[in-house]
Amino acid sequence: MITAGIDVGSTTIKVVVLNEDKIIGQMIVPSGTLPAKTAQDTFDKCCEANRLNKSDIEAVAATGYGRRLAKFGDMVITEIKACALGAVFTKSPYGNIGTIIDIGGQDTKVIALNEKGDIEDFAMNDKCAAGTGRFLEMLANKLELSYVDFISAALQSKTMIHMNSTCAVFAESEVISLLARNIDKSDIAAAAHNAISDRICSMVRRVSSKEVICLTGGGAKNKALANSIEEGLNKRIYIPDNPQTIVALGAAIAAQNKIIKGEENAF
Amino acid sequence: MDKQFQDLYKLNQQFSENPGNLKKQRFIEDEQIRFQTDLPYRPSNMTYFENIMYNRDFSSGAKPRVGYFCNMIPQELIYAFGAQPVRLDCGNAAGALIGEEVLCGDICPLAKSSFGAFLNKNSIANSCDILILPTSCDAKRKMGEILNDIKPVFMLNLPPEQNHERFARQTYLEFLRLAEFLRKNLKLKLSGRNLRKYLKLGQQRSLLVREIQKIRTINPRALSMCDFFLIIQSSMFRPVDLEDWIEQTKIACDEIKRFKPPRKSLRTKLVLTGAPIIWPNYKVLNLFEECGADILADTLCTGAQSCFDPVISGEWTNGSILRALANRYVYASACPCFISQNTRINRILELVDETGAEGVVNYSLRLCQLFDIENYRIDQVLKSKKIPYINIRTDYSLEDREQLRVRIEAFLEIF
Repeated sequence: MITAGIDVGSTTIKVVVLNEDKIIGQMIVPSGTLPAKTAQDTFDKCCEANRLNKSDIEAVAATGYGRRLAKFGDMVITEIKACALGAVFTKSPYGNIGTIIDIGGQDTKVIALNEKGDIEDFAMNDKCAAGTGRFLEMLANKLELSYVDFISAALQSKTMIHMNSTCAVFAESEVISLLARNIDKSDIAAAAHNAISDRICSMVRRVSSKEVICLTGGGAKNKALANSIEEGLNKRIYIPDNPQTIVALGAAIAAQNKIIKGEENAF
Repeated sequence: MDKQFQDLYKLNQQFSENPGNLKKQRFIEDEQIRFQTDLPYRPSNMTYFENIMYNRDFSSGAKPRVGYFCNMIPQELIYAFGAQPVRLDCGNAAGALIGEEVLCGDICPLAKSSFGAFLNKNSIANSCDILILPTSCDAKRKMGEILNDIKPVFMLNLPPEQNHERFARQTYLEFLRLAEFLRKNLKLKLSGRNLRKYLKLGQQRSLLVREIQKIRTINPRALSMCDFFLIIQSSMFRPVDLEDWIEQTKIACDEIKRFKPPRKSLRTKLVLTGAPIIWPNYKVLNLFEECGADILADTLCTGAQSCFDPVISGEWTNGSILRALANRYVYASACPCFISQNTRINRILELVDETGAEGVVNYSLRLCQLFDIENYRIDQVLKSKKIPYINIRTDYSLEDREQLRVRIEAFLEIF
């Protein structure tokens, strides 16, 4: 049984095609200005790239901020539920996942799971950039570094300096003044990562910091951030492969589950 | 009667000419009416209630008008003096922006919005002759002080604990002092007959609200929570003829009773608790309606809970009735301003049990310390009882609808 999940995010659109327990295709593209059209195009391209006919796919589940824009979807699910389904599916080698931290481009989520993998509680930071991927992007820009170089720079830092700004916009001005004081770019990059990780960690503590802690989303690919969060929480962090497509994967699983449930009810 | 306020440093009344903002306020009301008009299954006389809330002609009627705040002020007493009570807690997001011109921006939106109404010459707030505020929270206390410079204000001192043994006499004396204030400032006499008449009307209102709530528990689609709130609030937040209101509500209730749902309802059933939701700020009610959940009962001082408890007086003497009013309005209140939250938490658990609700929603108003801190205890208690719970924390602004929607949808996906 082949199902697909499409995560229509504010920054990127992700598609995952799932066959039972194997991921047979995935794709990440920028959302652009016409996410509805991009969603359809991305889905088509992903099928083509994996030599799949659209008729091979039994159901498509849409999730993310633009979940209702992907009108060709067969069901809609919030990114919170999808994230939980996707993370649990990856089978953490360290044991049951207790907490998921999903760091997206424009929002961050913390999801607490019980032993069965069901959602017990969640919190979102979707009103303020300071605590999301956007914050780091802005600061990398200010330091005139590519995002990749920005992360490497942070990993090289040996000193701990503290950024004062709680606002992403004011943090930009603070970066300028730190540069003027001849502070090393790598130290500023590290400070930026620590600032966002502090905010994420306090959100985590308010919800749950039960192990195993799973990091997902684009932010999970950032080694400097993952290290900072691990230090901040003093707990082991598990990062699945392809962390950015976990939510789309979860959507595909949700579609699968719905079909199975429907078949069960039919008998 | 000694004075409550010192008039040493009186402020002049300020007005704010703000046609753009008034337009925005109207727009918000229009949007809410439009949303409710599109609801399926409404009683045929909903326009009666809508017109009461939407009416902008606040010119004084035949009776003097007494503006009050919160749900601890006895309307029956005001009616008994031949005056018209009007609740002034404001629910307009644009109104909060006006209030910010004078008061600090980082305070409760209800306080800002209610205060902002006084900056508008033609508001219902300014059409009142005298004002009554309870000492329910810091914002109300300080607002009362400021408002006393523009209209005679009576501050009802509430007990910090809902401890009848310790404070019943003090509360009774406060209510007596209130009666004296009304007599002196309205220059009218308390009519024992009117007191008993409005007591009976108040009991009728309470019975109707209970009945509708019972019907909605079995048949939530018979009346949307938005409409239920509108019906209840139209009896408090505007000058209304209570007898007319009761008659119209009876008609609506009969229609609701006869409602037959076309199919089985699969919508999640919830109990709502938390901060005041005041028309037209029905943002959260609208969202639950859209996301496919039914709120069966609430503990809100602006919802069914506000009229739920009838005033029960053993004897028909004025003193006995005043005591009964004090008991109902102060000691039965579910407001978190009192120490010891058993009243409220017991009420939430009782409602969950009675209605068979599947979960609880707490609506907390950003910048209200009382509700913010309350959330912790409710969360822990409900978690220990394995009752699904979500805290929706927001202010009056209309910009965070989609953020709230994804949280509500995620919560409903648990069921």
